[in-house]
Amino acid sequence: MTRDETAHLPLTIEDVDRDGALLETVEAVAGTTRAELLRRAAIGSGALLAALAAPATASAARGRAQDTAILNYGLVFEYLQSGFYTEAESLGTVRAMSSEREEWARTLGAHERAHVRIIKDVLGRRAAKKPFFDYRGVTEDPDHFTRTAVAMEDLTVALLGGQAPRVSDLGLRAAFFSLLTVEARHAAWARRIVGVRPVGSALDAPKTLAAVDRVVRSTRFIVSRPRTAGRTPPRFTG
Amino acid sequence: MGSRAASREEILAKGGLVLAGLAAGAAWLGGRASPAASAPSPEQDERILNFALGLEELQAAFYAQALEEGGLTGEALELAEVVGAQERRHVAYLREYLGPAARPEPELDLSGAAGSEETFLRSAHALEEAGVGAYIGQGGNLTVRAVAAAAPIVSVEARHAAWIRDMLGMNPAPEAADPARTPEQVRASLERAGLPFPG
Repeated sequence: MTRDETAHLPLTIEDVDRDGALLETVEAVAGTTRAELLRRAAIGSGALLAALAAPATASAARGRAQDTAILNYGLVFEYLQSGFYTEAESLGTVRAMSSEREEWARTLGAHERAHVRIIKDVLGRRAAKKPFFDYRGVTEDPDHFTRTAVAMEDLTVALLGGQAPRVSDLGLRAAFFSLLTVEARHAAWARRIVGVRPVGSALDAPKTLAAVDRVVRSTRFIVSRPRTAGRTPPRFTG
Repeated sequence: MGSRAASREEILAKGGLVLAGLAAGAAWLGGRASPAASAPSPEQDERILNFALGLEELQAAFYAQALEEGGLTGEALELAEVVGAQERRHVAYLREYLGPAARPEPELDLSGAAGSEETFLRSAHALEEAGVGAYIGQGGNLTVRAVAAAAPIVSVEARHAAWIRDMLGMNPAPEAADPARTPEQVRASLERAGLPFPG
């Protein structure tokens, strides 16, 4: 089991909010119910993120709608990534790689699955449905898989870097940074594995949603219906 | 609502996911006399980005010192050159953003700070992780304009950290969500690394 699935910060909001200033603010802005939820929520938990991420006032409705749209795009992207690593694991592609690459692929898979869970939890019923994927054989070939992963991780950095300033909820903005840095670590690690310098320029150029979407669509990894017998089945079945 | 609550409980029961960016946001708020003072504002941006600038100055000076000492070879040398140049770029970038509000250039004497390759990597690691945690900790305290300015630096700091960790044989991406650090935690970690925050 990788560390991210067991790591837990055993802190509650009261541990960091000793003079009660934060809870007072939350109560004033969002009402007693949310403050109560926050009081019990462990710091760093999905519940805390969800509580902070949901603006309560009518004036926040527009920001909230945009945040939902951004999070839902992020969710689809995390689904795309987690499906990619998970399929490579279940097909045996990851097991067949060197132990160094195997650790890399398994860690990234675990992280992307964790990102899916947490974004889904934040969105609740507003979460987008999981799309169908067809990785077109890429997950069967270790080399192709690794090179595609490098491109995907660099693209995620550009996506999150571009969206962080568009998020209106402040708690969510901080959370975006902590996901952005993880994706950047993934990208750097992947690049070093394939022998490319882990960092490009001194500033990572952000991409707009439209630009990211063009790249995603060019992969044709997202399909309208599940893969059927009409296509060549994967060589390995796990 | 019942199933929502259950799914949250389930996530907590599984050990939760560390989105500690929020923890630091909370600590930052909690540590102020007046929480209202923490609402993003251009003045607050200046304070926060000046802190980031100090950190970038320290990083840049450290890599310059390591190159001057001349003990590095191979990939460690490449790292010092590449990352050092990028930290200098970050310094210039933040100075440009802050304009006249930028803190004065610190006088740093880091003689002997780089040491052996192993010491160099360990110190560089402390510096880069301090940068990553510091930016995450302030993500929720910056205005939209400042977030847009900082984001391209934030991910580069994380790339540096991952590169160094990989060279040290550590997992480059140890958490699903990176933890935030308060300014106090950043200062303390730099103190421990023997590279105190300038000013």
